[in-house]
Parts: sequence; structure tokens; C-alpha cells
Amino acid sequence: MINIPGVISQEKGLKSELLLVKGLTVDFETFDKKIEVLKDVSLKIERGEVVTIVGESGSGKSTLAQAIIGVLDTPPAFVKRGEIYFDGVRIFPTDGKRVKFRGTGINMVFQEPLVSLNPVYTIRKQLLEAAEIGGIPEKGGEREKVIKNTLTELMIRDVERVLNSYPHQLSGGMRQRAAIAMAVIQRPKLVILDEPTTGLDLIVQRKIMGLLLNLRREINTSLLIITHDLAVAANMADRIYVMYAGRIVESGTRGDIIKDPLHPYSLMLRDSVPTGYKESGPLKVTEGAPPDMSALPTGCPFHPRCPNVMDICRKNVPPLKNIGDVREVACWLYEK
Amino acid sequence: MKNEEILRVEKLKVQFLNREKLKFSARKTGRWKIVLDEISFSIIEGETFGIVGETGSGKSTLARTLVGIYKPKSGRITLMGREINFKKREDLLYLRKNVGIVFQDPVGSLNPRLKIREIIREGLAIEEKLSRIDQDKKIDEISDLVGLADSKLDSYPNEISGGEKQRVSLARALVNNKRILILDEPTSSLDVSIQAQILNLLRKLKDELSITYIFITHDFNVIRYMCDRIGVLYYGQILEISSVHDIYENPLHPYSSDLMNANITLETENKFDSQYEIGEPSRSGCIYLNSCMKKFEKCNISPPEFNVNGRLVKCWLYESGKL
Repeated sequence: MINIPGVISQEKGLKSELLLVKGLTVDFETFDKKIEVLKDVSLKIERGEVVTIVGESGSGKSTLAQAIIGVLDTPPAFVKRGEIYFDGVRIFPTDGKRVKFRGTGINMVFQEPLVSLNPVYTIRKQLLEAAEIGGIPEKGGEREKVIKNTLTELMIRDVERVLNSYPHQLSGGMRQRAAIAMAVIQRPKLVILDEPTTGLDLIVQRKIMGLLLNLRREINTSLLIITHDLAVAANMADRIYVMYAGRIVESGTRGDIIKDPLHPYSLMLRDSVPTGYKESGPLKVTEGAPPDMSALPTGCPFHPRCPNVMDICRKNVPPLKNIGDVREVACWLYEK
Repeated sequence: MKNEEILRVEKLKVQFLNREKLKFSARKTGRWKIVLDEISFSIIEGETFGIVGETGSGKSTLARTLVGIYKPKSGRITLMGREINFKKREDLLYLRKNVGIVFQDPVGSLNPRLKIREIIREGLAIEEKLSRIDQDKKIDEISDLVGLADSKLDSYPNEISGGEKQRVSLARALVNNKRILILDEPTSSLDVSIQAQILNLLRKLKDELSITYIFITHDFNVIRYMCDRIGVLYYGQILEISSVHDIYENPLHPYSSDLMNANITLETENKFDSQYEIGEPSRSGCIYLNSCMKKFEKCNISPPEFNVNGRLVKCWLYESGKL
């Protein structure tokens, strides 16, 4: 595919990122309070790159994904600042123009698969529609063939029954796979997956990941995977972003984040995953839980749990600083 | 470790009414779905015995049967030398006095209309002779031990976090002196850092209370970290029982080895290329027949358990008893 950089990226002399998010800030406004759910989040995804966002519940991962694809519930969520570019075109804010980017551009698989599936159509009808959008010719039963192959590859044994079912007749795992099939069949440029493998069996999980990586190999699709499972990130990602309390606290290549995390939170996340036998001693993790977003501590939001806390951490929020080529960290330890 | 058997399960069979087939109740066949198919194992005092299995393997059913929530169709459960008759009230009380359970879903397992203190007190209902003051003393002791702040005892479940809820479940299970604690996916609904805290806590509790754990999970990294021995469950049958080191370094049963291969950790890289064929569980012969890469003619007959250097394997490959 010839890559034609869009108007905006030409102007600013940017490389041909597929997705570029700049300074995205999202507030949740309820009648009595205002919660900053995302604060100044910037990220980019190159063509054919697999990027994962890791973080615990409440870190804003899903909100970020919803903001990118433009399906935030407004109210209570309001995008306060920020710009999003996809394939050289500004998709947010659009100044009232209609910009088409969903479908073959960005496609999203939600954490709750019932959201992606229409309850009044059978899975077959929905997948055939996806195949049509994906540009698969109708003649010779080509579409039917493609959807059956995709489902078989996702380890669905009784393809025919699944195709004839309505979403409510399927189990959670089946729905999840149908939703992933729907995204894959459309052959988009970017697939956003929100916790794609939670609740699925190990071997099925691996199959799904394999299918997504195949898609990248074939048509250079980029993947943005949102997960809390560091092992998935370690095995899939080219680059990893770590989020905490609505902020990106560190980003870098897979090797950077997994083998040599800089931010104390990334380190704690990595050390929380048990890797050895019983004899390997207790896991290195500090007490405490992620903060309540409506009552964030002053300064760095991680400071109450941080083993290396200094005076400055309690007062000021550390900025996200570039260190090295593709590495950023927001921590006062690395301010020098 | 005293190396004494604390719990023995022999040929345990549990079956459920098959709801889909119920409409045709005139036809007797297929009305029952066998969830646990004559499984046997024994647990040594002081160890952590892990049970791994995928969705639908019967892990949770096993956990619930062991505390008497479900009644077995046949088979024997012997707890500290006493055989449990599931029809006798005394036996069930004896079972529940000595075996505690922590469920996966911390929200569903706590009564939303009781304060935390009262929820933990429910665990003491079985100790009839205890005065209220003594009860309160025990509740305070156990909440200290599981790391639950005193201020939380007067809250309701919706006011505390997921990690704290799981601590409450632990406190309720351990407030009277249990010998065995069954942990049914105790951390799978928690965040990674909270999971690590609970795993650390579980190991500390085990040291302090010298208790035996049965740890049920689908997470292979957690089970390796927590257990001494592991049983691999597949559609109601235990296919292999081995020590944790043996099964991670040299899995014997083809299913165990497929699982170990599919497991991803922080150290593995891009393990998503290899091909897997998983068929349905077979109705005749070896249950893993349809998915097995190493099958041969004999597999059409269901294999018994073979003892290979102290490891139990349900596979014809190990008929000779050698590796």
C-alpha cells in the first residue's frame, strides 16, 4: 500500500504515524463533582505496530480507547483538550465535519462483547455484513467461506450453530470470539482490543493472538491492545505504555518495560507477576491500592505506594520526560 | 510437613441434571451430565495442592462438593480418617467445621446487608458454645492476621475494595480453626498488584496457621508459585497428578504438556505461532483422544491411572510405568 501522508502531518513534518493522540484530557462531570479521568495522554502507533496499554482497573485504559474511537458517553465524559489524528486526518476535534474512520479504518473489540453485537440479527448476518465492508466479493459464496474459516481458526467447533445463533444464545467466550472475528474480517488498519482475552482459556487465548498477528503480517494492521495482563503485553507488544491514575507514567519498547522498568510503578507491576516456584520467596509488592480518582493525592499519584518516595513527589506532579529514542518516564527520580 | 494424609477422595462422581435435555424427560438417556467422573486423589497435611483446568473442567464443582454444597452421586470422601456420609447432618457439620472455602467472586459471596464484622461472625456460627465476647475477640484476631483495618469492620461490603473483600472472605473462612482451606480462583477477579498482595498473605497465613490449601485456578503462573503438587483436570477427569517441579519441567500427559506449551510468561516471547488442534472431549476411550497428538490404537480404551515414579498419569503411553 502506498502511504500518502495526510495534510496535517505534512504540515508538521511528522512521520507517518497511523494514530497520533496529543494531550488528551477527559473529565467525568457529575452534578456534584468533576473527575479527571485522563490527564494529558499522548501516544502514537506506527503502521504495523503492536502497542499495548497496561494498567490496573480505574487507570483510564478503557476511557482512552473509547475516546480514540469516539464513543465516550457524553455526559458524563467530556473531552476537555487534545487532538487525535488517524492516517493523517484529524478525527478529533472535527469542527462539525463528518469524518469516516470506523470500520475499515479503526475497529474496536469491546471488553463486553454484547456491545459489539446486534441482538436482533444472527451472527451470520452480522459477519456477512462485516465481510461486505471488508471488501470481500459476494460471488461464489466467498463471504460465507471467509467467515467460516475465521471462526474455525478461532477454535469454534460447531461453526454452523454459532452462525445461526443470536448473540444472547452464545456463551461469553463464544461472543467474544464472534466479536473478534467481526473485527478481523473487516481488515481494518487499526484494531483496538479492550481486554481481548480475559476469561478465555489458555489455548483459545493463544489462537486469538495468533490470528491477530497474522492479520498484521498479511495487511500490516496495527494493534492497540488494552490489558492488565503483563504476560500478554510481554508476548505481543512492540511497545508498551504503562498507565496509572489516568496518566501515562512510562512508555518504551517491550524489552525496556519488561526487563528494565524505570518507573517504580512499572517495576511493581512486573514484580507482581509470579514467575518462579514456591521457593522464590514473597512477591515484591507494597500495600495499598490504586487511588480513588475523585480524591487523587497531591503530587505524583503513585507516591503513597512508592518505595522511593521523596519530598518533591508529595508536592509536584512529575512531567513525562523523553529519555532515549522511544522511551518516556514520569518520575522525579529521572529528572536529572 | 507431617506427611500424613488429611483428605482422601475416592472415585468421586458428581452429576447434574441436564437442563437442555430435560424437556424430553420421557427419554431417560442423556438426562444427566457427569461433571466429575470418578476422580481420586489424596491430600497430605500441610501441603498446597493445586487443581488446574480450563473452563468447564469441573474445578468449581469439585470445590463445592468438598464443602458439601453439592452432593456426590457416588464415591467416598475421607477427612482425617472419618468417612463423610453426605446424608448425615453430623458428618456435614464435621466437614464444614474443618474445611473452609473462599470463592472467586468476592462481591457475590458477601451479604450486602451485613456489616463486615457480622459477615466474619457467620463463620463462627458452627461454634455454638462461644460467647459473644469471645467471638469478638476471635474476629479482631483474624482481621489483624489478614490485614483488615479495624475501621473496616463496621463498613458494608460495597464500601470496601475488591482486595479487601477477598480478605474478608479469608477471615470468614479462617475465623474458627480450619484444617483445610479451599481457594476457588481467589485472585482471578483482582488487579495484578492486589493479586500479589493476596498471594503473599496466603503464604503468610499458611505458615502461621499451619493449614492445608487446595488451590484451584486456571492461571499457571500463580499455581506454580503457590503449590507443592498439582492435579490436572480435564472434563471431569484428573489426567495427571505430579509435583509442581515435575509438571513444569517434564509434563507427562499430552494434555499437561500442551497446556505448559501454551502458557505465556514474562520471559517467553511471541509464542503465538504454533498450531493447536483442540477437539471435543471424546465420549469413548481416552477423554483427550480427539485432541491428542500422540494417540495410537490403544487409546480407544479408556486408560487407568499409571504410577510413574510416584506420579499418576492417565495415559497409555506410560503403561510400563517408566518414563
